[in-house]
Amino acid sequence: MSQTIEFPHLSKDESAEGILATWFVKSGEQVKAKQVIAEVMVDKVSLDVEAPIDGTITLLVQEEASVRQGTPIARID
Amino acid sequence: MTTATLKSEAGTRRLTTAKAISEAIAQEMRANQDVFVMGEDVGAYGGIFGSTGGLFDEFGASRIIDTPISETGFIGAGIGAAVEGMRPIVELMFVDFFGVCMDQIYNHMAKIHYESGGNVKVPMVLMMAAGGGYSDGAQHSQCLWATFAHMPGMKIVAPSNPYDAKGLMISAIRDDNPVLFMFHKGVMGLPWMAKNPRSIGPVPEDPYVVPIGKAAIAHEGSDVTVVSISLSVQHCLDVAEGLEGKISVEVIDLRTIAPLDRDAILASVSKTGRLVIVDEDYKSFGLSGEIVATITDKDPKLLKAPVQRVCHPDVPIPYSRVLEYEALPTREKIQAAIHTVMKA
Repeated sequence: MSQTIEFPHLSKDESAEGILATWFVKSGEQVKAKQVIAEVMVDKVSLDVEAPIDGTITLLVQEEASVRQGTPIARID
Repeated sequence: MTTATLKSEAGTRRLTTAKAISEAIAQEMRANQDVFVMGEDVGAYGGIFGSTGGLFDEFGASRIIDTPISETGFIGAGIGAAVEGMRPIVELMFVDFFGVCMDQIYNHMAKIHYESGGNVKVPMVLMMAAGGGYSDGAQHSQCLWATFAHMPGMKIVAPSNPYDAKGLMISAIRDDNPVLFMFHKGVMGLPWMAKNPRSIGPVPEDPYVVPIGKAAIAHEGSDVTVVSISLSVQHCLDVAEGLEGKISVEVIDLRTIAPLDRDAILASVSKTGRLVIVDEDYKSFGLSGEIVATITDKDPKLLKAPVQRVCHPDVPIPYSRVLEYEALPTREKIQAAIHTVMKA
């Protein structure tokens, strides 16, 4: 089973860009469901992103990168 | 430090310093019903710098207590609870606010144990944010650890990384004496503040302690000793790694200000004979002078060159970003100081 993780929708303004503030894991690492994998921020609101399932994570976005909400940021296989 | 890096490669989970602190508090609260948190915006907001993030959801309003803006009132209440056997963690928010509640801190929290002939203990943690670098002005950017260290009766810790933050917080909660836990906002790994990657690092999940009063050799070297604390340690490590192969820099992370680990300072300076002190607190009458006295009280001949001090000059911290960085310790100033002591 594979699952893509999207940048969460924190702002009602769909065009708002967010920042991937911190990656707590590296590509290729084993993660467990509910483990905090990243902290993201939109307009000074920050949120922890948790892994939805167990598996091997692949990061799709660099730390500190600005991305649109809903952009795929990681994949877990 | 070396051990921590190896663990990271083996897959130890990484945390920001803010999350490491709140995890330490949560684990001690689960283990001991006497531990609780009190302060301004420590509840639903999670602390303005994230030091109590997530605690309110788990422990609720009876153990994570939001207080009115009366530092004298809630620090006094914390002291009373500690005297009665609880183990409160009280947050002052910014260290700069100490002025309105210093009587509680210094005449009560720090002296009750002495004045009761050792019969009454005050097992309390007074937690607060320190430091500048983000244009918050002269009343919200100070370090001030030497102001407290000058006065007997309190232990004072200031971690530079997530691993030490968790271990020092657990030590502070378990200590029967009042402990000031001073976290620099720049080491918290907050998403909205410029951050050094050193603010995020491997943190074991199980509880562990980092002993209070024990410095760490954060980077081994033989040519020059650089003694520092808190956020400045991160700058010192950046400089030491940049100079590898040219100058062998030993970085001592004090981790605790009081009691000062004088043995660690003396051991390193005995080896290198050259000393740079990097302290974001004000230069005069403070930690940097105390470190120099630690050497000269023992043997001035340990030094092959005059000491360099990279500290905040004796002026209020400027609001202007440009002027603020003129005043704060920076990598450039630390590197210049190292070159100066090497040439002398």
